[in-house]
Amino acid sequence: MTDQKKDILWRVYLVYFGILVFGVAIITKMLLIQIVEGEELKQQSQHQELTVANLEASRGNILAADGSLLATSVPIFEIRFDVASPHIPDELFYAKIDSLSKGLANTFNKSSQWQIKNDLIKARKNGKRYFLLSRSATYDQLKALRELPILKRGKYRGGLITIQKTSRVRPFRELAGRTIGYEIKEENLFVGLEGAFTDVLTGEDGKMVLRRINHGDWVPIHDENEVEPKNGLDIVTTIDVNIQDVTELALLRQLINNEAFQGCAVVMEVATGHIKAIANLRYDSTDNFYKETYNYAIGESIEPGSTFKLYSLMTALEDHKVKLTDSVITGEGYTSYYGRPLKDVHKIKNGRVTVRDVFEHSSNVGVSKIIYEAYKEEPEEYIEGLYDLGLNKKLGLEIQGEGIPYVKHPSNKKTWYGTSLPWMSIGYELTITPLQNLTIYNAVANNGRMVKPQFVTEIREAGIQKEVFETEVIDKSIASEETIQLARSLLEGVVENGTGKNTFASSPYKVAGKTGTAQIAVGGKYNKTNYNASFIGYFPADNPKYSCIVVINNPSAGKYYGGSVAAPAFKEIADKIYATSLALELETKEDTNVIHQIPANSAVWYADLKNIYTELGYDHKDFIYEEQWAYAEVNEDNIELKPEFFAEEVTPNVVGMKAKDAVFLLENLGYQTILNGKGKVRSQSVRSGTPVTKGRQINLQLSSF
Amino acid sequence: MQSFLTKIKGDKVIWAVVFLLTLVSFLAVYSSTGTLAYKYHSGNTEYYMLKHAVILLFGLLLMYFAHLLKYTYYSRIFQIALYIAVPLLLITLIFGLNLNEAKRVLPLPFNLTFQTSDLAKVTLIIYLARMLTKKQEQIKDFKSAFVPLMLPVLIVTGLIFPANFSTAALLFVTSLVLIFIGRVKVRYILGMVGIGMVALAIGIAVLYVMPAEKQGRLGTWKNRITNFIDGGGEENYQVEQAKIAIATGGLFGKMPGNSTQRNFLPHPYSDFIFAIIVEEYGAMGGGFIVLLYLILFFRAVKIMTRIPGTFGAFLSIGVAFSLVFQAMINMGVAVNLLPVTGQPLPLISMGGTSIWFTSLAIGIILSVSKELEKKEKPEKNELNKAETVYA
Repeated sequence: MTDQKKDILWRVYLVYFGILVFGVAIITKMLLIQIVEGEELKQQSQHQELTVANLEASRGNILAADGSLLATSVPIFEIRFDVASPHIPDELFYAKIDSLSKGLANTFNKSSQWQIKNDLIKARKNGKRYFLLSRSATYDQLKALRELPILKRGKYRGGLITIQKTSRVRPFRELAGRTIGYEIKEENLFVGLEGAFTDVLTGEDGKMVLRRINHGDWVPIHDENEVEPKNGLDIVTTIDVNIQDVTELALLRQLINNEAFQGCAVVMEVATGHIKAIANLRYDSTDNFYKETYNYAIGESIEPGSTFKLYSLMTALEDHKVKLTDSVITGEGYTSYYGRPLKDVHKIKNGRVTVRDVFEHSSNVGVSKIIYEAYKEEPEEYIEGLYDLGLNKKLGLEIQGEGIPYVKHPSNKKTWYGTSLPWMSIGYELTITPLQNLTIYNAVANNGRMVKPQFVTEIREAGIQKEVFETEVIDKSIASEETIQLARSLLEGVVENGTGKNTFASSPYKVAGKTGTAQIAVGGKYNKTNYNASFIGYFPADNPKYSCIVVINNPSAGKYYGGSVAAPAFKEIADKIYATSLALELETKEDTNVIHQIPANSAVWYADLKNIYTELGYDHKDFIYEEQWAYAEVNEDNIELKPEFFAEEVTPNVVGMKAKDAVFLLENLGYQTILNGKGKVRSQSVRSGTPVTKGRQINLQLSSF
Repeated sequence: MQSFLTKIKGDKVIWAVVFLLTLVSFLAVYSSTGTLAYKYHSGNTEYYMLKHAVILLFGLLLMYFAHLLKYTYYSRIFQIALYIAVPLLLITLIFGLNLNEAKRVLPLPFNLTFQTSDLAKVTLIIYLARMLTKKQEQIKDFKSAFVPLMLPVLIVTGLIFPANFSTAALLFVTSLVLIFIGRVKVRYILGMVGIGMVALAIGIAVLYVMPAEKQGRLGTWKNRITNFIDGGGEENYQVEQAKIAIATGGLFGKMPGNSTQRNFLPHPYSDFIFAIIVEEYGAMGGGFIVLLYLILFFRAVKIMTRIPGTFGAFLSIGVAFSLVFQAMINMGVAVNLLPVTGQPLPLISMGGTSIWFTSLAIGIILSVSKELEKKEKPEKNELNKAETVYA
């Protein structure tokens, strides 16, 4: 053996010996743990407790077309006070009770300082360990509580017990409330869009394994959650908050003025079927006010009355049974079928009028005569003509509870009477929902193309588009072009010469539409004091942009005609839309303003941004929720303050923001910010888009250039 | 079966040890992913079992092909690998520093991550084996032998150090041991150890002086060291749970799949898998695992004493030492002999890169042993042939 080899070998054996010792040490230590500490450790293992906690996934937001929040989830806290806690000594309690009560009174603004003081003292004497302070405190209120004497000592020493819950809020409250929807807790059911898109909005709860530590507190075992909660997706609706606001107000005004029971108003974009506004108000006797409690426009299939006359004439025109210039004898405004009288409101002209006059003045006698003469031999032809307009089918809305249209067929002898044809021709003995009615008028405005009313355009995840919904076409053409043109001229005529003349006399733009006044059958009989007043139409008549229906149910202040009860609400809505958006679109855009020299801000806290533009005296549209980030979009004609959304858990891009705003935003996400320099943010040390790690540092380089 | 066995060459004892370790790995990981599986695949533990089985199988295949290759080729291959590993380490480090945190892994497709330090480890050891062989004549010299040997060690460990202290320290010690075996003067090595200790002492001192918010990952080491000395904190919780696992395991264990401590131990499938093995298979099972690693190292020593060339000797002993030493460290942590380090148990802990590089390392040892067999057996074979001729 060479020296070299020998030199290597003793070294190798030494190393092997070392490893052997290491191995023996491991086994020894292992046995030592079992023998020496074994009992104690086994005892300890008996006391170990695990639990799997649910991590609630937050429900997705419902957004308006412009991105404003219509419905969102916010954390709320149930707050209990361990008043009789042995950790709160008497001296402390009685020394601080006054300032504590005062603080509580200020925070919750519900009961007086003195009452709270009495309650607390009583609760302590009775040994209450779980005294309710608030069932639904906001985060800000909780923060304020943590500053109050005694409570600021925390859970054990101060007795402050908080239970976090989530609450669904609609920042615009009643606005489109029933259509946006809510949860009916007793039935565990969501109504409206909340219900229709509940699968999309609902996230998947996460799971976290917790172990109990000495004080009974549960702490997570692992750094990450076992199953991350997956938040629900957001849906973007077609609702335009401005139009919705106007619509709701206009409806409310007419309901109040006419002491009506309930009503609805829907605004639809002609080309796309987008529901820009939908208001449903019903009188609530407990609050003595109108509330969004029932989706009348979608759910209630009602006898439409005179608005239906359009469909009768369109059918007859399509079948070439009649021309608008044909004359009809309406006489004194009275006729009868099988002994049952049918009357007009008043005599029209000299009693011998054209078909056009019949429609414009909404003559029951005239329309029924036209249809009865044309179809008495084969009434099924008329009914099928109505079916061709799409009157017998549901729209197939995502929102549950759509009313079923009822337009009977002569083949069913049980329901078909001799009087059916004339009465159906003027909108009785059949029912459709206000929205179905509007959809066909909208098709007329849209040159015969019938589009499905659309409520949701997009599904978003953290601000990113996931799915887009296009306009659905129900029928490419509900009638011939000629019939559509005639129908449109008839509807324009109503407003120019007929029952809509008074209301729209001063309108600066052309409206087309039809009034309707239907007696309501109560228990099978038509009661003269019970009416549905309605108006359906579209504007501007030459180039229709929006269609709208207003139905007022059971007006009881003396007026009950559609022309005087429903049409004014229609006009108010149309005027506002025209003034805010359409006028801008239609007028020439010569007005080159200096506005666009104002720099569009990157994200700024909304209240600050609003102040700036208010101070500067600029006209700005602002319809967004106060508590959020916003940016100003400078259009040619105005400035629009739009909400800026920052995806949670993802680092935002703060370059260009003011230091104050950037710090606020980042700290809220859980970052520790470190500022270098002065001025605006030039660069950030964590790239935007990076997932947020709580407590992590982020360096912001500022400069004023 | 016969033909399969004839295809497997090299030390049969090592093969047996590998198969046993692989089996243990499969069972222990399946059992200890009980909690993790729940995390991503809502109770679908089979997903992890399957993924781990595929990783193990691929590891065995890698080992098989690695042992087919003549070991002298590894000298050249890993010389090239070093040129790849160092820039990779640099990228990982800069990438990590940019994100203001230590980044140890490069993300790969298929949910896999690549630990650059695993590549660097094998590469450096093979490089050392090559250099030691080349420098044997002037090995006692400082300038021509010690410096060129030590320089790459310092560079590689220095690059790993900021992101992963324990891996760097482990590699540093492994390298020194290999250099020691390679007949370098003990004086120089002790000097190096001394320098290392001083550097460590300064480092720790700086840590304690530095404000808490600037420590980042450094803070983790500080806590680990402090906790090992004083007790308390998150690391202590882990140690406590590992000890409970060991204590409740008893002599024969709770039997496979019955671990309860896997729910309380963070990373039961990796850092503390040894504790779970003791819990389920008892002190007997734990002792058996220690024995398997000792056998593995013993076989490598045997190969070393028999192989004629120096490169094969240094190669097999270096690779084996690195692997077994890491195993001892991991098990030492689990039984609370050492502070918490976060080193996986080679060939047993879950994790693709670690298992594959371990498989490659064992493949290399097998390749050396295969050459040894060839050299020792030819006379026999010729004798056999001769007999057939005469018969």
